Amino acid sequence: MKQEDTTTPEQPRPPARLPLWANPRIGLVVLLIALIALFTTLRPAFLNTQLTLVPMQADISVYAVVGLSQLAVLSLGHMNMAVGRMAAMSAFASGLLHDRLDAPLIVALAGGLAMGALLGALAGIIISRTGVNSFVVTLALDFALIGLVSLLYATFTDGVAFNGLPAGMSALRTDTFADYCAGDVCGPEIPLLAPIALVAVLVVGLLFRWSRVGREVLMTGSNAKAAELSGIPVGWRVVQAHALSGLLAGLAGFLLSANNGSFSAGVGDGFLLPSFLAPVLGGTLLVGGAVSVLGTVLGTAITQVIYKGLNLLQFQVDELKLYIGLVLLAALSLDRLRHVLAERRGVPA
Amino acid sequence: MTSTVQTPTTRAATPPAAKPSRLRRTVRTSEFTLVMLAVIGFVALTLTTDGNMLSAGTLAAFFRFLAVPMIIGLAQMVVLAIGQMNLSVGVLTGFCAMVAAWAMLEAGLPAPLAVLAAMLLGAAVGLGNGLLVVFTRINAFIVTLATMTIIDGLRYGVNGPGTYQDYSAGLAELGQASLLGLPVVFLIACAVAATVWFFFARTVPGRHLLASGGSPFAARLSGVSNDRSIVLAHALSGLLAGVAAVLTLAQSGSVNATIGDDLLLPSFAAPIIGGVALAGGVVSVLGTSLAAFIVRLVDVAQAQFAINRRWVDLIVGAVVLGVVLSGAIRTKLSRRSS
Repeated sequence: MKQEDTTTPEQPRPPARLPLWANPRIGLVVLLIALIALFTTLRPAFLNTQLTLVPMQADISVYAVVGLSQLAVLSLGHMNMAVGRMAAMSAFASGLLHDRLDAPLIVALAGGLAMGALLGALAGIIISRTGVNSFVVTLALDFALIGLVSLLYATFTDGVAFNGLPAGMSALRTDTFADYCAGDVCGPEIPLLAPIALVAVLVVGLLFRWSRVGREVLMTGSNAKAAELSGIPVGWRVVQAHALSGLLAGLAGFLLSANNGSFSAGVGDGFLLPSFLAPVLGGTLLVGGAVSVLGTVLGTAITQVIYKGLNLLQFQVDELKLYIGLVLLAALSLDRLRHVLAERRGVPA
Repeated sequence: MTSTVQTPTTRAATPPAAKPSRLRRTVRTSEFTLVMLAVIGFVALTLTTDGNMLSAGTLAAFFRFLAVPMIIGLAQMVVLAIGQMNLSVGVLTGFCAMVAAWAMLEAGLPAPLAVLAAMLLGAAVGLGNGLLVVFTRINAFIVTLATMTIIDGLRYGVNGPGTYQDYSAGLAELGQASLLGLPVVFLIACAVAATVWFFFARTVPGRHLLASGGSPFAARLSGVSNDRSIVLAHALSGLLAGVAAVLTLAQSGSVNATIGDDLLLPSFAAPIIGGVALAGGVVSVLGTSLAAFIVRLVDVAQAQFAINRRWVDLIVGAVVLGVVLSGAIRTKLSRRSS
């Protein structure tokens, strides 16, 4: 996994090596391990493979992609408020392709991804053409799509979900690699969804680290004017970043549908909050120009560990939110403190 | 009733002497467009429902359920004025309502005290938001995202999944009462809106707040404390959420932990349609109120014609996008011609 960490380019001195404590990712790993240790002590069932670990990995896979979808536009300093509804539209497209045209799994997936990318590109085109704040544009798009999704489901299905799934999709939901054996050697207890998310993480990481498009998107995010003067096609990069966000939202919608076992109108309803939570916990800035893909994955893992752990301790779902919020605030304040301390020592962090 | 810092959108703006007439300037404001839109929508709805719209019951219901969206829109607008956002307005409204109901039913507080407590609680939480933003220097979007999650948990913690009802006969009476044919809750909302307008148009802290939003740097150079503006704006936003909670208590008769869930997106829709800039420095109390009125019209049309509830969201989304796009095109055209 490549991590992305564009430190602010303003300091003239050669970038000093980060001391260990100043690396935010280390803090996240420590927090993650501490949380797992805490929950395991309180409830040994936390390490039960079937009950906890496998479903948790599936959830992390889904929400890591959700976080990446938001990260794709945070790189520009933009937001995508419609991330959940783009996922819902993608799931609808996949479901329709299967239901009406009997499309196989891979075609349904491709159709869903294309739908997501198109919606994202539409948002990007409006934003880059008019210069209107991305928050407003995607918020309005979200409103419109909330209505559209339910209307479409009401028209094309007899309820709020498609009956039936493409062949192979239920295997994605129920199977782990342990169910596939070559001779006596079976795979690990990892759900089949996990490698799909891993590919998404790798591709996005490589994109922002090594590809020209990714670097130019980050430059646009850190200073659009300077980027334009350097010959970067700023408008086109904005469209591309939003299309990527839509595409990833579509993938997340597909993964969640696979996890739930149906293409339904409710897919994506709870995406907005986690989509911001994961990248922000992971150290991605809202102002743009810097992203952390590895941090996003860690942020997702931490949130899901807290959810699962408190769930095992029999907290109500709504009560959980209190603690998630407190952890977010605490993590951000600590990060801020680390930043201040690092600055005082003259280390760019 | 607006404190918009008017940008010269007129073509003949080059020589300052050739200002267009007062009438033409009025006609070109976005408030005027909204007024026309509201009037046309109202008349059209009256005609297509054979005057059903004007019957006392329908009219009273129309204005009664306009009160909360108006106040929530204003609560968001106050924070937008300094170029920030408050994602916690919706859940805070629910939380204050639940706490006030709890205070009346379980703690035995009289209704006036509980109402006061709800508003104070809103202001206190808002103050907390503001202080967090100022002291941690974390983006307000993130801070209020975190507090939104926390308050969501607290709101549920007050009474779990249970419902509070019959908390106060006096409040329920107030919620149903009418004065001169208009519901009292709507009149209260109008009075609050007028106060907010007065605050931004005529008071020193209000002007400071707008100055901080318009250009923090210039404001600082002029001796305005941006930090104070931020704290004040968030506290005021919380206070307005508390007011919305009281109005909800009065008009609905029963509250549970889902109150406020459907308020977050409308809280942004009203100011944005009303012409409030997200970048800060501009507010429009009249525009925000009119936008809430128009959204309410769409709501009523849906009920009158028994249309699928979902069309409302679709139409509101399209209206927001349309208003924003037309605004962008208008500035582009006026820039090209000048």
